[in-house]
Amino acid sequence: MQGNYLAKRIGQALLTFFATVTLTFVLYQMMPGGPEQALRNQILSQQMGSSNTINPEQIEQLVENYTNLESDAPIYVQYYQYMSSVFLEFDLGESLYSEDTVTSLLAERLPWSMLISVYAMVIGYSVSIVLGAVMAFKEKSRFDSVSSVVVIGLNSTPYYVAGILFIFFFSIRNNVFPTGGRYGLGIEPGFNPAFMQSIALHAALPILSMSVLGLGTALTMRGNSVRVLGEDYLRVAELRGLRNSRIATQYVGRNAILPMYTQFMIGIAGVLSSSVIVEEIFSYPGVGLLVYDAIQVRNYPVLMGSLIVFTLVTIVAILIADLTYGFIDPRISSGGNNE
Amino acid sequence: MSNERPDDDLETLFDADIDREPTPRSQRLKRQFDLYVVAPARVAMTDWRAVLGTAIIAMYVLMGTVGVWLVDRPTSGDAPTLVPPFQNPNYILGTDTFGQPIGAQLIHATPDMFRMVFAGAVVSIGFAALVGVLSGFLRGSKIDTILMSITDIIITIPGLPLVIVLIAIFQPGDPYVIGVLLGLDNWPGLARTVRSQVLSIREESYVEASQIMGISTGTILRRDVLAQLMPYITVNAALASRRIIFESVGLYFLGILPFTTLNWGVMMNIAYEGNALSKPSMYHFLAFPLLTIFLMSFGLVLFSQGMDSVFNVRLRARHSSTIDDDGGPEP
Amino acid sequence: MSNSDTIVEVRDLNVTFEMNRGQSRVVRDADLDVARNETLGIIGESGSGKSMLASSFLNAVVEPGVSTGEVTYHPDDGEPVSVLDLSESELNRFRWEEIAMVFQGAMSSFNPVTTIRTHFRETLQDHNRDIPAGMDRARELLESVYLDPDRILDSYAHELSGGMKQRALIALSLVLEPDVLVLDEPTAALDLLMQRSIVTLLRDLQAEYDLTLVFITHDLPLLTKLADRIAVMYAFNIVEIGTTDDLLYNASHPYTRALLDTTPDLNVPVEEMNIIEGSKPDPVDHIPGCSYHPRCPMADERCRSDDPPMMTVSNSHESACFYYDEADDAVTISAAPETRPASGQSAATDGGEN
Repeated sequence: MQGNYLAKRIGQALLTFFATVTLTFVLYQMMPGGPEQALRNQILSQQMGSSNTINPEQIEQLVENYTNLESDAPIYVQYYQYMSSVFLEFDLGESLYSEDTVTSLLAERLPWSMLISVYAMVIGYSVSIVLGAVMAFKEKSRFDSVSSVVVIGLNSTPYYVAGILFIFFFSIRNNVFPTGGRYGLGIEPGFNPAFMQSIALHAALPILSMSVLGLGTALTMRGNSVRVLGEDYLRVAELRGLRNSRIATQYVGRNAILPMYTQFMIGIAGVLSSSVIVEEIFSYPGVGLLVYDAIQVRNYPVLMGSLIVFTLVTIVAILIADLTYGFIDPRISSGGNNE
Repeated sequence: MSNERPDDDLETLFDADIDREPTPRSQRLKRQFDLYVVAPARVAMTDWRAVLGTAIIAMYVLMGTVGVWLVDRPTSGDAPTLVPPFQNPNYILGTDTFGQPIGAQLIHATPDMFRMVFAGAVVSIGFAALVGVLSGFLRGSKIDTILMSITDIIITIPGLPLVIVLIAIFQPGDPYVIGVLLGLDNWPGLARTVRSQVLSIREESYVEASQIMGISTGTILRRDVLAQLMPYITVNAALASRRIIFESVGLYFLGILPFTTLNWGVMMNIAYEGNALSKPSMYHFLAFPLLTIFLMSFGLVLFSQGMDSVFNVRLRARHSSTIDDDGGPEP
Repeated sequence: MSNSDTIVEVRDLNVTFEMNRGQSRVVRDADLDVARNETLGIIGESGSGKSMLASSFLNAVVEPGVSTGEVTYHPDDGEPVSVLDLSESELNRFRWEEIAMVFQGAMSSFNPVTTIRTHFRETLQDHNRDIPAGMDRARELLESVYLDPDRILDSYAHELSGGMKQRALIALSLVLEPDVLVLDEPTAALDLLMQRSIVTLLRDLQAEYDLTLVFITHDLPLLTKLADRIAVMYAFNIVEIGTTDDLLYNASHPYTRALLDTTPDLNVPVEEMNIIEGSKPDPVDHIPGCSYHPRCPMADERCRSDDPPMMTVSNSHESACFYYDEADDAVTISAAPETRPASGQSAATDGGEN
């Protein structure tokens, strides 16, 4: 039963990844005039400014390098080559206008994006869970209604608006946090306190503005907690004279958080999505900014590569969620049914 | 407003299967209207969030219809540049760096916003309802498996990067097209919700009874299931709208969407690029679009929250059951 | 049954809820003595306040309900405990150690995400008991409710049947060796066979562990098989109390008699007792005089204006009716035996076990 479930989940994850890579192939094909035409135009328009010219054969060769697509080959051969280079060689193509491969560009940027995304998620969700639980315990009190309005208000604030406001108040009006970058100039990278502190200072505002995304969860948590508080097992736990701390964590907390667990992990897709806008606002050089820069010059290989990598991160997160869910909710692992 | 749309559609659906029932059409319609429109509306009136949310949304609808007609479309040089707000009664919200009144820009950006939201909401809600209902009713079949696999795949792909790639390829300028593109990544979550709702509704006895009575699946689907799903669809339409506003304004703000139209995001972009954050004379140029977006999504979130608690029987059940446990008044 | 050995003493108990349309009083000036080691049954229609009365034994009325008055617990040795005056931490210690309660939601009384073992362990831990010794006792208890400890302890609630959950909960309720066990409709969701086996089980447990049982139900036939004494509740107060035989053969309150009359065969449980004519009282209303007078065939001016106190019928039997000695003529019970058997337990009980 368990092994079966594991195999099924991993199979699903692989299928999803396969489908995503196929999707990027389809997107290449959907470009006006096909991929080679689109890229050729792109390259030619870039060449206009400079003095050196490239002959058509060279362009042909470049297009193939950039995208792993051999333009004269029949479409199924192209598809096979594209897929095999992604899956067998981990080759996502080459960036236009620079010598770097897309894989190396992404590998360099991804840790920085993950840093702010993961922290943003952890902070956003922790605050939501605690707030939602307290709101439920004090249901219908003044604290509950005021917090509800505040949460709805924050939930109505787009994260980029939050970002702009944070920059305004914390960077321009009061010089608490820097407005952009990953770490300060002239600080030597490495495991030294100054570098760490600089990273934290630079990441603080992007993390804060992305964590606004998770705050809507507070209302979900509140609803779930209210429901659990009305359950019979909670009343029995009180009758049993259990400690309040145990009731709050093992009974209310655990049962209220459970339904949201998978949602948290899917949430990483949302947070990664938001990084494109947030990283641009804070000029934070992660994958998001890479995407932003790529779109300005129609650097398609980088765009497609980022899409693949973003999806990969999400797939892994969901896979972890699925596989660990059985440990925290016995009803799933014994039934093996994830309806 | 897009939220009212599904109701209208539903009414026409009810119209269609009229011959099955002996009751006269007018009476039946009236009853349906009472059940699905008047009753929820009456309950909604008791929830302040639903009332305030509806009021805010109505204000924007007015802005996008009557407002556009009352206020002239702004052009550059209409007025002196960077007039501060609340100084000149002709430009209450002040003017921007090109001398365009900010209030008029905000108003004239509204219709395109609604077009986008409408297209996006219709696409995402329509897709979700179609996939969810179909998959729920054909539970366990091949079609169900395939539909759910597709849903799972799309749920996994981060929405904004996908939309960005699509925009980069297609360069859309038409608000309807932008709305559809933004709606594309929006449906899978709701489709799953709809499916599980359909599954639980199917378990309920009256659906079973209808099946035994020989009423066709299609009729059950129209009459019972869609009616039961209305709460989810209403709440989610509001949330989908909010998301489409967030994303489209965000993309305009970044300059990723081409500036073919007036948009709150475009205004923010121009202001932000003009370094409005460090120039007090430009504060209002950035602040009013921000406020406009905030208020609109505040209205949508309030509306969805309000409707959610109106529809949420579970929450209400708990409140009444605390008294009813024993010794309380019988229901 | 001597009154000198009282274990729980209830005086002037009121349970009130503040509601939009006024104060709802769901228990009104109730007095009750529970004797040590007896089985006291409390019977009443749903909505008569019986669950609220029982919950007050542990000061556990659901919020926003408030219990006022006196509930005194007399332990075997030591000072009497005023339950309603206990602080939160004192109350946490008192519950389950002195008085445990199993209530009607037993089907979902267990935390769905932890094993039954965890339920026992955390209960022992939070009451600062010795865990290995306590777990040994838990196994013993599970065996005495006919469950296999090895299997049950590692199970989750969703893996057990309704009857198993109910029995596991009874075992859990006894793990801290309480003196009193309050059971609020513990068999309501079970089938007849399971109901009967739980009743037999409770009787065995009572003998084995020196328990005082307070059993709340609206199932009169079930109660007659188990209870030494029965208290009848109507409209938020006790209207008659006596030994099971007193009530069965000499019911002295018109309501009790009407109840018995609507229970034609005491061996067949009646699920709903709403068959008595007239409507149930509303807890927000204040009824002048006797609360039963709107439905009582004997009611006169006195009943409409004065609230009858508990009148002594015999030394073990009290009834809140001015005309307790005339009730048997005014309200006839068609199916009941006319005379009580000469000795021993009630005929109904014996009949039920055959």
